[in-house]
Amino acid sequence: MLRKTKSVENNNMPAPSMGEKTIIGEQISIEGCIQGKGDLVIDGSIKGSIELEEHHLTVGPKGQVEADIHADNVTISGRMTGNIKAGCKVEITKEADFNGEIKAKRISVEDGAYLKAAIELEREPQKKAAPEREPLTLVSETDKSK
Amino acid sequence: MAISTHQPWEDPAFESELASYTSNVLRLFVEGLERRQEGEVLDVGPVCGSNITFFAQRVKKLYVCDMFLLLDRNRRNGLAFNRVWQHLDYPPQSFDGILLWDLVDRLDDTEVGRLVELYENMLRPGGIVMGIVLGKQAIPQAVNSFVIGDGFRLYLRPQHHLNLPFYLRQNREVLALLAPFRPVKSFIYRNGIREFLFQRD
Repeated sequence: MLRKTKSVENNNMPAPSMGEKTIIGEQISIEGCIQGKGDLVIDGSIKGSIELEEHHLTVGPKGQVEADIHADNVTISGRMTGNIKAGCKVEITKEADFNGEIKAKRISVEDGAYLKAAIELEREPQKKAAPEREPLTLVSETDKSK
Repeated sequence: MAISTHQPWEDPAFESELASYTSNVLRLFVEGLERRQEGEVLDVGPVCGSNITFFAQRVKKLYVCDMFLLLDRNRRNGLAFNRVWQHLDYPPQSFDGILLWDLVDRLDDTEVGRLVELYENMLRPGGIVMGIVLGKQAIPQAVNSFVIGDGFRLYLRPQHHLNLPFYLRQNREVLALLAPFRPVKSFIYRNGIREFLFQRD
């Protein structure tokens, strides 16, 4: 079932695209290209590609996606195979089973998630690690034999 | 090699010492990667968000394949080991570094041999492997992830969803199992944790 919800309601303003989200229900399977200007939650099954520039895509715990995804933020809680290109953040929750490539600015992964991934993050300028003070707990093998 | 039947100890002082330590091998591993520009690294888990961020910001591409979770799933489903190794299907010489963590502790000698064969194939010449082996006094009650903090400090975080056997080994046994690689550095910590840095010639 496809549902559209509005989390922001203001009758005096032009209909904002922000805050709208479409839900693809558990019983729905789609094969093809999905493009949109709003947030999308997938609880069903999708095969193809998903383009949601500047919006948030969520693959719910029951969602099954085999697709290339381009969105601003992506949250994966279900099963997904494919490549993700996110303008901002990718979030992988503990229920997720992900197989593919991820390109993003940031990523968060919960313990328990299954991940087979190639990850490229926007890299910060190289920071030189501050020299560590002499470790107290450490004994090297050579020291130990003395 | 001995399979542990050790029960969790209840000495809080010891537990707090075990819970975190500053890792010299991690520092050497990172420095080694920084010398190899545009490096590519494989992390075999357990998956940990902060470690992914730590390495993904330092290398060209980070590959994650959570072998701990796959081993656990395999055990629960009573499947053969070779079904696990087929997930490490990367082309030869794909990586400049491999984060082995304490995976060796969770495998018997035969399976470690199979893993080392795969690693030897996947690692580029001069590539490095970071491994951790727990000692007698550090036998864990659960599989841990080694969460990277500031100053190369590693925090052990129990992964209670993983249930894997533990194989206790002497240093010489570990070195013999990883013989295809050249040992570069090894350290023993007071908490019983041993760390190894290996290199492929």
